[in-house]
Amino acid sequence: MSAALTGFQSSVLKPALDPVGLALEYYTFAVAQVGEPAMTSLLNAYRAIKTQPAQQIADTLLETSASSPSSQAQLAQSVVAMWYLGSWYVPGVVGGGGFAPPPLQVISAAAYTNGLVWRVMQSHPMGYSPFTFGYWSQAPAPLSSFGVNSGNGGGQ
Amino acid sequence: MSTPQYDVVIVGAGVSGNLIAKELGLAGKKVLILEAGLAVPDSREEYMENFYLALAKTPESPYPALAGRQGSKFNPVGELPDPASLPTPRATVLSLGKSPNISYLVQQEPFTELHPNDPNPQNPPADKGGNVRGLQFSSTFERNGGGTSWHWLGTSLRELENDIRMKTRYQHAEDWPVTYGELQELWALAEKEIGVAASTAQQEPLEVVGLVYPPGYQYPMQAIPMSMVDQAVSSAVAGLEVPGMLNEAGDGPAPGTQMYDVFVSATPQGRNSEPYDDRRVCAGNTNCIPICPIQAKWDPTVTLGKALDTDRVTVSYQSVAYNVEVNGKNATRVDYYEWSRDPNGNLTKVSKSVSGKIYVLACHAIENAKLLLLSNNWKGIANSSDQVGRNLMDHPLYLTWALAPQPIFGYRGPLATSGIESLRDGEFRKDRASFRMEIGNEGWNFSKGDPYTTTMDFIQGTNNANVNPPPGGSGQPVRLGGLNLVQQLNNIFTRQFRIGCMFDQSPLAENRVALDVDQATGKPNNVDGLGLPRPKVEYGLDPYTMEGFRMAAYVCSKVYERMGATEFTVNGVGGTGDFTYKGKNYHYYGAGHVVGTHRMGDNSKTSVVDASQRSHDVQNLWIVGSGSFPTVCTANPTLTLMALAFKSARSIIAALY
Amino acid sequence: MRRQITILAAGLLVTATIAVRLLATAKTQTGPPPIVLSPVIPGDVNVTAQTVSIDAFQPDFDVYSWNTFIALNWPAGPGGNADPNQKIGQNGDNDTVWEHYRDVSDIFLPGGAKPTWNGPVNVPPACKSLNKGNLEVVIQIGKNLITPTVVSAASQPFNTGPLIDQNGVFTRFQILVNKTMFDYILANSLYSKAGQKAFTPPVNFTSGSIDNNGKTLVEGAIMVKTAWKVISTADKARFHSENVLVYTPASENPKYPARCTMQTAGLVGMHIGHKTQSAPQWLWSTFEHVDNVPTDAEVKSGQLKAQYSYYNPKCTACKVNQVPPRPWNPTKISTFHSQIVRMNQFNLPIYANSAAARNGAAQQLLLGVNPKSVWANYQLISTMWPTDPKQSFGAPAPTFLANTTLETYIQGTVPNVSSNCIECHNNATMTVPVASDFTYILQRAQ
Repeated sequence: MSAALTGFQSSVLKPALDPVGLALEYYTFAVAQVGEPAMTSLLNAYRAIKTQPAQQIADTLLETSASSPSSQAQLAQSVVAMWYLGSWYVPGVVGGGGFAPPPLQVISAAAYTNGLVWRVMQSHPMGYSPFTFGYWSQAPAPLSSFGVNSGNGGGQ
Repeated sequence: MSTPQYDVVIVGAGVSGNLIAKELGLAGKKVLILEAGLAVPDSREEYMENFYLALAKTPESPYPALAGRQGSKFNPVGELPDPASLPTPRATVLSLGKSPNISYLVQQEPFTELHPNDPNPQNPPADKGGNVRGLQFSSTFERNGGGTSWHWLGTSLRELENDIRMKTRYQHAEDWPVTYGELQELWALAEKEIGVAASTAQQEPLEVVGLVYPPGYQYPMQAIPMSMVDQAVSSAVAGLEVPGMLNEAGDGPAPGTQMYDVFVSATPQGRNSEPYDDRRVCAGNTNCIPICPIQAKWDPTVTLGKALDTDRVTVSYQSVAYNVEVNGKNATRVDYYEWSRDPNGNLTKVSKSVSGKIYVLACHAIENAKLLLLSNNWKGIANSSDQVGRNLMDHPLYLTWALAPQPIFGYRGPLATSGIESLRDGEFRKDRASFRMEIGNEGWNFSKGDPYTTTMDFIQGTNNANVNPPPGGSGQPVRLGGLNLVQQLNNIFTRQFRIGCMFDQSPLAENRVALDVDQATGKPNNVDGLGLPRPKVEYGLDPYTMEGFRMAAYVCSKVYERMGATEFTVNGVGGTGDFTYKGKNYHYYGAGHVVGTHRMGDNSKTSVVDASQRSHDVQNLWIVGSGSFPTVCTANPTLTLMALAFKSARSIIAALY
Repeated sequence: MRRQITILAAGLLVTATIAVRLLATAKTQTGPPPIVLSPVIPGDVNVTAQTVSIDAFQPDFDVYSWNTFIALNWPAGPGGNADPNQKIGQNGDNDTVWEHYRDVSDIFLPGGAKPTWNGPVNVPPACKSLNKGNLEVVIQIGKNLITPTVVSAASQPFNTGPLIDQNGVFTRFQILVNKTMFDYILANSLYSKAGQKAFTPPVNFTSGSIDNNGKTLVEGAIMVKTAWKVISTADKARFHSENVLVYTPASENPKYPARCTMQTAGLVGMHIGHKTQSAPQWLWSTFEHVDNVPTDAEVKSGQLKAQYSYYNPKCTACKVNQVPPRPWNPTKISTFHSQIVRMNQFNLPIYANSAAARNGAAQQLLLGVNPKSVWANYQLISTMWPTDPKQSFGAPAPTFLANTTLETYIQGTVPNVSSNCIECHNNATMTVPVASDFTYILQRAQ
């Protein structure tokens, strides 16, 4: 489900060889925040449509066309934010005054350094560079090399 | 009076303190450093973890927890401790503009803080002279082993020839009591100590603004490559000229004003472009502020290590100096509190004293002033000039930001690798503040708290970063997910960039640090956890400085125009750092460049220290750091303050013979 | 109870080279391949795991590490190659193959002079009067580098500090490379600053490889970093030891003169880095002597031995894992003794479990050769390997790994700071800022 929601390949989020174990860490954290029933509801909603194309799954669960998202969609939003930013944003709490809402917590250092938003911008987390001297004077590798789910195959 | 225990007692383990300690130790002198804050940790694991877990990744976020507890894992927004409970409170970004139960510096709170529910916030009015008073001094600092320059950016520019002779050349402000030739020799020492990466060949075009190197001078390391953002700005501004002074409307040159070339120069930086000094090469972690994870960027703990290697230097941590005892023209001892926390976390303190032949105050421009004013039962010492605490200056920083028409790939490389330095000098300095323009490599991280703000905008359907306006102008901003979200965010983040303009603001006697003590009763209004009065700050901007902002806004818009970029700069009203000038709203940040509070000069009536940073009044007292700068000039101050520290060290060694 | 995590489950991703080998093998064995008493250095890891998971793969890597350790420590014959007629430890201790590798101080010579593979050793002047015969020179001070003119390549990140034993004596270090690695340096003139400047990147050391049956085809570039403790004659029964020249070059700050003494030194730590086809980020194996330090868990539960090299069980007031205060002077006996504990850096149980199982198996094998084999007193801590070689860092497993003698003060779990072989070595460059393929030794060129 997270692959569909985030637009990244599931092999990025939960590789078979998984030294960090972020998927489990995130699932555990989210359940602790919203409770199992809410999480299960969201998962069931996903399971019902899981054979659809990934973008459609994302738009359905996030209710991107609705004028105001349901609380389940807001939970889906927090799941996306968690993968992108490594922090937990309380569902339904929006930002204001020109800034994002403050997160409840950065989930862990590993969550921060594995945030997807930095891949989205074809770069690396601030404070955690896997690149070498001078890389910044050249264009980065294309977005497709950062694990983005460019195919339309059913989300997982 | 018994024999002094040390040759030299230094207050503060920051840039100047550590450098002077090292030089003195190498000369065989016995040195004690009193450092108010916590010891340098064995590795930077704790600091990096603080950073990773911080909700707001401010400059202070890695450093010892605001609550004074060692190793605190979280720096939550909104749960800021009362400085009255802390042994070493300091100014922080999160406490800026708040009331004294949150802000260490006691200063005017902005309108929005005092009237949070007023729908029409206002900026402070200008006075008869056009000055705006009651503004917030916005720079912050650290009080720990290593000091504030743990989180300096690394920018190691030299000043310009005219920077140090503003009065002679432009009849404005003050001259420095040193020559450019002397500074050139001292800068070379500082560049070697830090390990500055640059190429004099690349700097040659700046001769036109008075940046001159001795013939044949070589920097210790080759230059840091320019970023994609730098390259985009550089090619776009080729051929651009801007006026020295603007016309009244602000849309073109004032009649008769000179025109100046705009071009981009690589920035000399204190980070490794080769293995240097047992430290790794820069890997572009894009995190210089607040902390370099691999210490490719020099920080004062490097020099402190060398000072300790001399086996002549001792550091006493958690030691807050509160009085320098002076007898006639001589300092005789420093009194300090050694603080600790008992097993229940309660703060305890013990008063101690130490003596030296010579004393050096090196604990930051604000804390130096505070300590001088605290001494002699709060009547002050070394202040016959009445300049201690006065002439407080910063480089107020005006931020503009934009979206480039095509991806230029910010968020990569050191935080800044180039700037526009070509506008730093000219005839206009008679009439308005000069400025340098720092090109940021971190997208809109500084400007808008990105990537968090824009990401949440597109997830939640808000428009806080202004790049998610309702389609067609009405209705709601969009909400995205999946690949759509990836592509939209990629489109935006890869085009974000910003320019920060830093002004040579005027020294004003009324911009000052004083003790927060009630004049009538003599009692402190606000104290810290050790019972010491806190600094009270008064700050404002004069028309000379504000006219610089007006020009900077114009130049930035011209640069963006040349690039085909869309500007997104928005300045609020009534908040910290907001002001109005000639009908336009501006906002300044603090650059962290705190200078002026114990300025140097040849005339003891108008200055606190001489060219060696030796007090005019107390012959065995040196007061060092950027507080000695008579003007803030146009370069980031760290390189120059270290250069001056070399000079001070020489004069101290000479005085000890 | 662990829920089935279907929502976040993934398809199977298998790293390319390992996948090919996995599908190609028609093995029916369960468990990892055996640790063998063989002088043949494995050219790469032999993955026999039947499922794709860290739990399944880690044992294969740990077997690789032990087979490498055994082969490198095999008795050397004349000429320095492994002697097929001897067995490791058959006489208790033995001169080893890796000790005939080239020391980096004999590769990066003053003036950038051209090195030789087995020419005379570069004996420092302070040692000349002591050097009777071909004694080894163990020269590094603390964790810092040696030759005064060259920046350290082997210093701990942040120059954190030396490791001082319970007798107040500094731990000493040595870095050597095998012929494969040496040959690449020689052929590309990377032994001098001038040569490095003239070189066209990328630096690309030879990769080791194996065939589909796990037999070594190519021995890749190997670098070995060893840690030594000065020991008494009585200790020799428990350590691999050598008579060495312990050299400290002169230092300006802190100030002390050059010093050279003859000592018996015991091996306390060994890093093995091997570039292989499956690991462009290299494979990293690290071993320690079993008497070095207690683990954090052992300290907390009070299960302590009577004696350790770097921990005093009787000193309850001693703060643990503290850097010695400066100045650090290796020519003097220090009053400060390092009190070191092995912290747990592993986020998955497999790393400790697999190492323990392989240690048990290896030690049994070694004791079977000779019950007095010194080699049975060494343990594998773990093996770091890239789970996704396509990424720059390679997504290493485990996520952190330290040897208490070599990365003493960064045993935490903070990304980009705490000890991670690949993350740190990824920053390595030559004297020019060109990536040096995961080795810091090229920085030593003059």
